[in-house]
Amino acid sequence: MIGRKIALWTLPLAAGLAIAPPAIAKPLGDTDTSIKIAINEWTGQNLSAHIAGKLLEKLGYKVEYITAGTLPQFTGIASGSLSVSPEVWPSNLGDVYPKAKAEGKLEEIGELGLDTKDGWLYTADTKTVCPQLPDWTALKDPACVQALATPETFPNGRLLDYPADWGSASGPELKNAEIPFTPVPAGSEGALVAELQAAVAAHKPLLMRFWAPHWVLAEVPVEWLKMPPCDEKNLAECIVAPPVIKVVWAGFHEKWPAGYELMKSLQIHADDQQKMIYAVDKQGKNLDQAVDGWIEEHQSDWQAWVKAAQN
Amino acid sequence: MWLVVLAFIAICIAMRPALPWLVTYPSSWLLPVPSIINSVFGFLIPLLKPICAVLAIILRAALDACSAALQWMPWPAMILFFAILGWLARGWQLALFTAVGLGYVVMAGYWEQGMNTLSLVTLAVPLAVGFGFLLGVAAHSSRYVRGITMVVLDLLQTVPAFAFLIPLLLLFGFGPIVGLIACLVYAVAPMVHCTMLGLERVPPSLLEAASMAGCTRRQRFWHVILPTAKREILTGINQTTMAAFSMVIMAAIIGGFNDVGWEVLNSMRKAEFGQSLLSGLVIAVLAMVVDRITFGMAQPARDRTQTTLRNGLRMAVILGLPLFVAFLLNASPSTMAWADKAQGVIDPSGLNRVVIRFVQDFSAPLDAFKVFVLYHFMLPLRIGLVGAVTPFTWGFAWTFQVSTIYCGLSLSLAVWLWFRGQWQGGAGVLIGSTLLLLGFNGFPWPAFVIVVTALAWSVSGARLASLAGLGTCFIVGAGLYGPLGQSLYLCLLAVLICMFVGGLLGVAAAKSDRFSAVLKPVCDALQTMPQFIFLIPALMFFQVGELTGLIAIALYAIVPPIRYVEYGIRSVPADLVETSRQIGCTAWQRLIHVELPVAKPVVVLGANQTIMAALSMLPVAALVGTKDLGQQVYIALSKADAGLGLVAGLSVALVAMISDRIMRATVSNTGGALD
Repeated sequence: MIGRKIALWTLPLAAGLAIAPPAIAKPLGDTDTSIKIAINEWTGQNLSAHIAGKLLEKLGYKVEYITAGTLPQFTGIASGSLSVSPEVWPSNLGDVYPKAKAEGKLEEIGELGLDTKDGWLYTADTKTVCPQLPDWTALKDPACVQALATPETFPNGRLLDYPADWGSASGPELKNAEIPFTPVPAGSEGALVAELQAAVAAHKPLLMRFWAPHWVLAEVPVEWLKMPPCDEKNLAECIVAPPVIKVVWAGFHEKWPAGYELMKSLQIHADDQQKMIYAVDKQGKNLDQAVDGWIEEHQSDWQAWVKAAQN
Repeated sequence: MWLVVLAFIAICIAMRPALPWLVTYPSSWLLPVPSIINSVFGFLIPLLKPICAVLAIILRAALDACSAALQWMPWPAMILFFAILGWLARGWQLALFTAVGLGYVVMAGYWEQGMNTLSLVTLAVPLAVGFGFLLGVAAHSSRYVRGITMVVLDLLQTVPAFAFLIPLLLLFGFGPIVGLIACLVYAVAPMVHCTMLGLERVPPSLLEAASMAGCTRRQRFWHVILPTAKREILTGINQTTMAAFSMVIMAAIIGGFNDVGWEVLNSMRKAEFGQSLLSGLVIAVLAMVVDRITFGMAQPARDRTQTTLRNGLRMAVILGLPLFVAFLLNASPSTMAWADKAQGVIDPSGLNRVVIRFVQDFSAPLDAFKVFVLYHFMLPLRIGLVGAVTPFTWGFAWTFQVSTIYCGLSLSLAVWLWFRGQWQGGAGVLIGSTLLLLGFNGFPWPAFVIVVTALAWSVSGARLASLAGLGTCFIVGAGLYGPLGQSLYLCLLAVLICMFVGGLLGVAAAKSDRFSAVLKPVCDALQTMPQFIFLIPALMFFQVGELTGLIAIALYAIVPPIRYVEYGIRSVPADLVETSRQIGCTAWQRLIHVELPVAKPVVVLGANQTIMAALSMLPVAALVGTKDLGQQVYIALSKADAGLGLVAGLSVALVAMISDRIMRATVSNTGGALD
């Protein structure tokens, strides 16, 4: 422990001697209390969380991974019982997040750099019944609507939507674009995945809302719809691929200054993440192995972040 | 009185077009219950938080120690230990069962998670047993405490766990402790019930004898009452353990911990049927092993000799042996590595492919079935015959003439019943046919409140009627009449299906010992495995929607009718059966005229349990996109609105309690007694 501390002290010293910038060394802060990283329900987030954790450990912090639901986690971050959530998708945040943010109890620290997709996708067999796809106007074709209609949505077509508790802008967007489809909330991620797999297996048409990166997209062929135009500022009525952000507890900066800088510079690319997700979920690789692989591959990136955090 | 009720309903329906608020409860009339609850929490939580934080730290330390100890033991030593326990409890058969069961856990590759689950349960059970015992004793000794305790227990068992999740999260923060507390809260109830039952059954003569022998109060309690009630208390411990196991999956949703529940959730999220079945079976196996061992220990010892020094020594050696093996294995990593090869040898992905292949080959008949059920059973109940019958679905339109014929038919049936003296039947036909005509979505809410209240009044009296009236008003006033209708229609259909199919299965099981032996493990598995598992194939076959939810509910709720019908018919006195045979009844006549009427109280109790099971599945059904009260709980969860979640949870509990009381009153009116 002492050895590491000295080593970490000498690093900025050496850097200072070499380039001599007028920077003040960022203290590590409280290295005895562990930084609590939120673990959510999907593998991509788990990977981001563990990458963040490993890098924080390299700086000299203790970390702890705490499983917390996507939405309840903000209550934890606001109260400080969770310190950081490294991958937050602002498309479905519910009501807690904006409330806590307005009260200044948590802090957004920039984007994670994940290139994401969020929108409506369809299976290959949908194209035979709605030939004008991928353009959204194809959904106004009565033959297409009829083919996608179900007893529950008749006479409208059926759009499988995000679960009701995630919140979704599909409904307003369908209404604004005057598309005769009814959104049917799925209930859970498993329900979305199961329907997609079943539709592909049974060669049935299906239109659903989904997101990328996701492991199932590496398994089943899908295409993304060109979304109808909408006001991108109004997130309640317009689906836009969200910039994935990093969120920390408001006291993070004060307590772990160097860690704060590191979290700010953390970037993960979608391609890398999708590869890791596939390795973990489908090839049965250990999460740690996948994360170690990333650390190995991106030596220069994270070493630069660590250095920047210490200066 | 029913005439007034019918007139009221008729007025409500006639006024529907003029006053739309009769169907959709106006939002300006909403009771501000959620915000009141939230402000109460806002006041209470800062007060309680420090205490809870200390509690959480203590529990966390205990949990860590417990799981560390269980993880330290290599699995062969642990299996040996449990097998020896099984042998001590019941003999070699149980030892073999235990070894095979735990061997499965190893081969499925969930040993580590299984031990974490076990440590969660190991910690929750003694606490629940302790609290439950104390509460049971307190409730036994004071009428006042008893009244409050009973209401609280009813609520704890019927409010879905998700509903009190938000306040728990606010109080205890994140992590397995919240899950542990949820387990504990849920598992307390059976202990309290069993303790009270045991204490009540102590014969007064025994108490008298104790007093005459000059016992002090304390002596009487410890040396007379407790030993007499021991059997029930031990059963209580067993039931508490089972309840704790059944909550493990909820604990995973709430807390999140590297346990089997979390694994089940993960595989559910990935829609992997094979993995979820595999991990779900791990919970079932662990529960069964612990159940058989504790049950074996609760049985009166047949030939247990006095614990002499020598016996104690033997026991120590037997229990010491696994520890010794553990030391050996920990000392030699190569042996352990060799043994570890057995971990995770079962590969369940083949099962996933089977499900997908099935969907591929049978999608057309599955679709046809789904459409048939939706058009002819589900839509009429939900939006009523008026909305469901169209040329597209039934082949003809619901015209004015059809409407007239329908009303005429139901009216004449009601009048006919009336003249035969069955006026209750007549009123029931009228109300039922109105409901079917308009559907749960179109039934005016004031009429609904009146019907439920009148029903409660006629079966039991003013007290139950006031509970029913206030309860339904609370639900409607909270703005949950829509989801309530959805829940009722799903549960009603599920209960009807379960009573019909389950009843037939139960009769068959009562008539054939072999069939009964096959059915029993299936029922056990349906009840102990996490219900989530059945959602995946149902989803793939029937897509997101209410039919899938209905199937999930029915699969779980089918167990009570099978069990109760079988039990009821089997317990018909043998002399009655013999007499009916002598007067020349055929098997069917005997079943319909002798056995079913005699078994009626038990069957009604089974129906009651079916309703409870169906209601408890509502939050699970919400995961496939139903719009019922369970979904409201999730939505509240996503908004972190403690008040809204509790109100939705309380609504489920109120529906459960009202229907439970009405069923019980019906049975006691017909002369049976419910226990």
